[in-house]
Amino acid sequence: MAKDPVRVLVTGAAGQIGYALVPMIARGVMLGPDQPVLLHMLDIPPAAEALNGVKMELVDAAFPLLKGVVATTDAVEACTGVNVAVMVGGFPRKEGMERKDVMSKNVSIYKSQASALEAHAAPNCKVLVVANPANTNALILKEFAPSIPAKNITCLTRLDHNRALGQISERLNIQVSDVKNVIIWGNHSSTQYPDVSHATIKTPSGQKPVRELVSDDDWLKGEFIKTVQQRGAAIIKARKLSSALSAASAACDHIRDWVLGTPEGTWVSMGVYSDGSYNVPAGLIYSFPVTCRAGEWTIVQGLSVDEFSRKKMDATAEELTEEKALAYSCLS
Amino acid sequence: MSSLSLFQRIVVRCGLTSCRSMKKQPVKIMVTGAAGQIGYALVPMIARGVMLGSDQPVILHLLDIPPAAEALNGVKMELIDAAFPLLKGVVATTNVEEACGGVNIAIMVGGFRRKEGTERKDVMSKNVSIYKAQASALEQYAAANCKVLVVANPANTNALILKEFAPSIPAKNITCLTRLDHNRALGGIAQRLNIHVSDVKNVIIWGNHSSTQYPDASHATVITQAGEKSVKELIADDKWLHDEFISFVQQRGAAIIKARKLSSALSAASAACDHIHDWVLGTPKGTWTSMGVYSDGSYGVPPGLIYSFPVTCNKGEWSIVQGLRIDEPSRAGMDATAKELIEEKTLAYSFLD
Repeated sequence: MAKDPVRVLVTGAAGQIGYALVPMIARGVMLGPDQPVLLHMLDIPPAAEALNGVKMELVDAAFPLLKGVVATTDAVEACTGVNVAVMVGGFPRKEGMERKDVMSKNVSIYKSQASALEAHAAPNCKVLVVANPANTNALILKEFAPSIPAKNITCLTRLDHNRALGQISERLNIQVSDVKNVIIWGNHSSTQYPDVSHATIKTPSGQKPVRELVSDDDWLKGEFIKTVQQRGAAIIKARKLSSALSAASAACDHIRDWVLGTPEGTWVSMGVYSDGSYNVPAGLIYSFPVTCRAGEWTIVQGLSVDEFSRKKMDATAEELTEEKALAYSCLS
Repeated sequence: MSSLSLFQRIVVRCGLTSCRSMKKQPVKIMVTGAAGQIGYALVPMIARGVMLGSDQPVILHLLDIPPAAEALNGVKMELIDAAFPLLKGVVATTNVEEACGGVNIAIMVGGFRRKEGTERKDVMSKNVSIYKAQASALEQYAAANCKVLVVANPANTNALILKEFAPSIPAKNITCLTRLDHNRALGGIAQRLNIHVSDVKNVIIWGNHSSTQYPDASHATVITQAGEKSVKELIADDKWLHDEFISFVQQRGAAIIKARKLSSALSAASAACDHIHDWVLGTPKGTWTSMGVYSDGSYGVPPGLIYSFPVTCNKGEWSIVQGLRIDEPSRAGMDATAKELIEEKTLAYSFLD
């Protein structure tokens, strides 16, 4: 007997990331090839016609798993009954804008979307914030949707995690599916800390540490980190547009692993509400290594953190604390 | 075997098991025009297994023209960044020989777009050159039995040119995309009947992937509680089926452009995956699909055109569904689109001298 459809909300759905994301969801990439879905797509009134164009294309693609599409500019209608919410919509930084202006606009957006979600989403709705500044947008959302469990509000660092896996696989000229257990610590920004100290490679003679096989700590602590941190800018330089394909794909991976579980022996990176693990200040949305089971994430505990890592982890926490202060100052 | 310890027997058995479940060899898929909108929508679908199945590794060959080289490299970078388990390699190049090297499947999305103010003749002339050159490269460098799908418009005529200039590629391996129109037709009927699109099947798109295409619902059926029913019977409005429904499908491309200010990419890419998927892996029992294929004269359609027919697919081969009754309006529609294709063929050939 076919499963009941899951309702998935995508905000900012008329944009680039939305356009890449919705066909992935409709094909079962996010929740599995046997899970029917109902898409709720939200965007702002100026994008209403484009949004309707996306709905038309979804109808034209005759996706077997797609049981319905709601395309709307009304946040209440968009949020009603949703089980999964992927928040791609936000105010992008334009040339000449101060960080404070962008933050101020996004704080308003995420405050009001928090209310709509809290009032109208299904219980236990899982939320993934993609729009930047992702961690702080997620934190604002959490603060203004107090009845949504903090553990249900996350932000996307899976893109950085996947980029880190990709860079290791390119360096070693191996399949990316043979690399695992990198960690992205902290903020989805240029202070993120891509950490390979516990990453491993599958070889014919079992799992080997990345550090051993790369055998170049200078590269791992230098260029590798910079490449991952600045990859977003590199994509913009090449495409003249920011990453959509890879961001959408990472959003699907994030939700899929959260809902369906991480493979045995493997963890992923998710921006989650900090409980103080690893001496990261509690009450921030901070990216940690997590495993997922039965629809819940759990921070991987007990990993050794060397001095180099400690400094990096603290630097990105500091930036998040500053962002939090800036965001709150916009609220008063 | 009995002289081995239990442990040794387990090891041997595990060894045998892993041999049987050995992963498939990767299939090489080329996408031309890969730096464009349709390419950007298509490549993640291919990399996730939508085209050939979730257990089929793939290697992508991406081709575009030199002005798009940096953007193309950006696409390659994003494919790496997505860490797709099935994607075993990416070649991004502006060199057509490198792009065609060893490919098993070729999706031709690249072509010269019609811009405001250009004559149909000018577009045709440019595309004839492009498809003539790409035909040579494919013929020389692609793997044996390469399957080709032409998406770029004018799709049918581009495919015909490609066929003419790659004579060692079997004509049956050269197709064009009308699956998008087919899927649109299914969607249009589903919307009219307020049912799910997966409950509708067996529409037909006859002819040219252009505004003369003939969307035919006369043999289409719907799955209901009481078994399969004919669409004609359930809609009970022949006028709608012969007028509005046909217009809807024919003009859907323009409707998308009006809404998005860009042409269909998401749905075109998805249809390209469906076309290849059904061709390679077979159509479901009792179901046909629409593909632009080399006409053998079936249904009174002139042979030697690339014309969209209803087809079933089995073991990597398509076969035109024979014996369907053609009513008068369908005959007229089918002939009109054939006529347009003959005109396009004549125009295309006029540029070759």
